[in-house]
This record gives sequence, C-alpha cells and structure tokens, in this order.
Amino acid sequence: MSNVISASHLTLAYDNGAKEIIKDASFNIKKGEFVFITGPSGSGKSTLLKSLYGQIRPKEGNLVVGGLDLANAKQSKLQELRTHMGIIFQDYKLVNEWTVAKNVVLPLMIAGYSVDVQNTQAHRLLKHVKLAEHADKFPLELSGGEQQRVGVARALAKNPVVILADEPTGNLDDYSSNVIWDLMENACQQLETTVLVVTHKIPTIFSLPYRHFIIESKGVYEVH
Amino acid sequence: MKFIKNHLMFILPLMAILLGVEFYLVFDRTTDSYEKGLKEGYTMLVVTKKPMELAELQALNAHISSSEKIKRKNIVSEIAKGISVGSRKEILAALPYFYNVGLDSYMHTSRLEKIKKDLEADKNVKKVETFGSSYSSAYRLFSFIKFTLKLFIGFMAVVSLFLIIKQMEIWKYAHKERMQVMEIFGAPLMLRSGVLFKVAIADAFIATFLTSAVFLYIKFQWAANSGIDIMMQKQEELFKLGDMGILLGSALLIVIIAVYSVVFSSKGVQE
Repeated sequence: MSNVISASHLTLAYDNGAKEIIKDASFNIKKGEFVFITGPSGSGKSTLLKSLYGQIRPKEGNLVVGGLDLANAKQSKLQELRTHMGIIFQDYKLVNEWTVAKNVVLPLMIAGYSVDVQNTQAHRLLKHVKLAEHADKFPLELSGGEQQRVGVARALAKNPVVILADEPTGNLDDYSSNVIWDLMENACQQLETTVLVVTHKIPTIFSLPYRHFIIESKGVYEVH
Repeated sequence: MKFIKNHLMFILPLMAILLGVEFYLVFDRTTDSYEKGLKEGYTMLVVTKKPMELAELQALNAHISSSEKIKRKNIVSEIAKGISVGSRKEILAALPYFYNVGLDSYMHTSRLEKIKKDLEADKNVKKVETFGSSYSSAYRLFSFIKFTLKLFIGFMAVVSLFLIIKQMEIWKYAHKERMQVMEIFGAPLMLRSGVLFKVAIADAFIATFLTSAVFLYIKFQWAANSGIDIMMQKQEELFKLGDMGILLGSALLIVIIAVYSVVFSSKGVQE
C-alpha cells in the first residue's frame, strides 16, 4: 500500500529554527493504518501533528503528506490538502457562535457543497455520533464529551484521507473516551482512513491492530 | 442590543470620516466659487508711457490674464473740468495710459509684489498699483478659514481612525476563533473573512446613507429655510449626487483595509 505520510530526516523547530523539537526523524505511514504517538509532556507530539497539517514547516529534511512536499508547498496547496484531512483537538476548537449542525458540516461548506447536502450530511453525521437531537444547540450547551463527538463528526464529514487527533480524549470521562475511540476505529476500518492520534496513554480496550511511535529526546521511534 | 452597539461602534467613526470628506468636498466647491469671485473682482492698476497690448503685458508676467484700457478722455473730463479745450488737449497728450490688469488666480501678496516688479522692470511701465493692503486682508481671512477647516477635518479623521482601529480590535476578538478554525480546515481567505466583510460592507452602506441623509437635509431643509444669503445662493453646492459615490467609495476603501488588517492579523492557529 502507498505511503500517506512520509518523513525523512525531519527536523522541526520553533523560534526561527533556534529551538529544535524533533530532530532527524524518519518514518512512513500507509493508507488505512492506525497510529498512536506517545511521549512525555513537551516532547514534541503536538508539534509533530501540527507539522502534518502544515502549521509548522520542516526546518530540515522532507515531510510528504498525501503526495505534497510540506517543506516547499504553497499556501494554496496546503489549504487544499487540509480539505482532505480531519483534525481533532483536545480543546475541540468548535465555533461557539455556530450551531452544532453548522460546526459539523464546516468541511462541506468549505468544499462548496449545497445547503441541502450539508443539511442531509449534518443529520447523518450527528446520528452517527449519537447527537442528532442536539443539532440546533450551540457547542457551549453541550458537555465536554458531546463537544468532542461534534469535533469527531466534523473530522469525518468529508470522508478524509487522514485523521489527525491531538489528545482527543484528554479531557473526557471513560464513557465519552470509549465513544470517541469507537468512532475513530470505525473510520479506519470501514473507510480505510489513516488515523494518527497523539495521546498520553493508549486505550486499554482497542480492537484494531495499530502502530505505536514514541517521541523521546527529539527522536521519533517505533515501538514493536 | 449588543448587535446594534457593535454596528454603531463602526458606523459612527466611519460616518465622522465621511462627514469630513463631504465637508471637504462642499468647502472646496464653495471656496472655489468664492475664490473665483475674488479673482474676478480683483485688478491691479498699471500706468504706462505708451499703449501696451495684453500680449506685451503677458510677456512680462505669465499670470496676467486680462487687461482693460481705461479711457483717457474720461479721466481728462474728470480732472479738467472748467478747463479750456486747448488745455484739455495738452493734458490728454501728457497723460500716460491706464490699464486695469486681471490675474489668472487668487494669489498671495508676495506673488503680487513679484508681478509688480516684473512689470516695473519694463521701461514703458511708469507705475503699478496692486492695492495690496485690502487684497492682503481678504486673502489672509480666506486662507485662515480654509486652513482651519482643513485642520478640523484632519483632526476629526485622525480621531475617527483611532475609533475604527479600536473597533478592529473588537472584530479581531469576535471573529478570530471562527477564522482560525476555518483556516485549519482549509477555508480560503475570502470564505474565512466572508462574514466580517458582509458586516463591514453593510456598515459602509449604512454610514454612506446616513451621511448623505444629513447633507440632503442640510441642502433641502436647513439651507433653503435658513434665511442666510450665501447658503441659499450656494444651495446646489451643498450636496451633489456624485458625492454619494465618493462617500461610498471612501467607506468601502476603509472597510477593505480594516477587514484585511483583521484577517491577516488573525492568521495562524491559536495555541
């Protein structure tokens, strides 16, 4: 199977390159793989994830996502790449002035789908994450777990090639966490979506085969 | 209530700037016609030994636009009342030539002096009278009023710009979250800033409409019934249809600059 993500001697840094976070990392991730990235706080897990959606550009080395070389990609190409990604944040990053339904269909809105299609999809997605009755509510009217399910529904809205999740269950109780893991497992299994999850702890109950990378002392190592 | 307040906080400073622009336009038009009146009403007196054509005077200074010969016979008839015909002829023969000389613009007294010097440099010119003192006081008053109004308009524009910058900070706070989330999911700039543009463009139209309404009221109600001669005479100058286009253009320009400043300063995902 082809590589969806390919990093070669990748170095990531902040402060105009002065503060290196990841150094000389090389790895490949194939279509349909489920990957956990763990490591101590401040090790660079979130930085690595941000580099995958182009928020941080490589200082050195190569990083290719979905065939796009992120070191040299134009902003417009980067924008296009992001429309094929589903991104999930620990703090949800929902638009609080929009209804739950509108938040969910944001990727469809960006892709220019008609309002009818958006409404149909909003209903389907919210039913999928068991929030159909909350469609017209605003995010702040929901619990943390429910907000994160909205975030997951938004990430799944356009059947993305890759889902990037940054501590998706970090603030959630066990029930909500399990729902989120189930949703991501289903996406990976049924749609062959590549899923990368940055987390402190790999869930104990997880049915899919997965790969596990650990970030330590600026290096990215696969745990076998 | 908050919605109305947010709109007013942009509409009012924008209106202040537009009022300034419109005041400037009106003032420019009315002073132009006043300046034209002053210019047309002003002539300097040039006394020459020999008759001189306009072209000869213009060769001495290019600002000369007209010359009117004062009939010497009329002068003689005024100064030689009761004098014999023979003596009148002698006076007429000895009398120099008088011209009322007009200029192409209303200018500072120092430039009048320069014209006087240029004319007096010619051996045929005996004397030039600029009537500088009365001219100077009118010119100074006119310049002072013009300067004061421009200063006031400038001050009003600066204060209003600060208020608009303040409103931009509020916009940034209110729209940043949405624009950043949209950016993460790959929304192009126009889509990200669409809501802000719609709000700001609506405000630009409202501010233009209100400013135009103020001046239309001044033109058709206040000026027409004011009983002030100059207002009634210059009523047409107070607001013209084309002004609405200038006001809308100015408002949209300010809006585009303000919105893009907010959009570009909101780029990048908040940590």
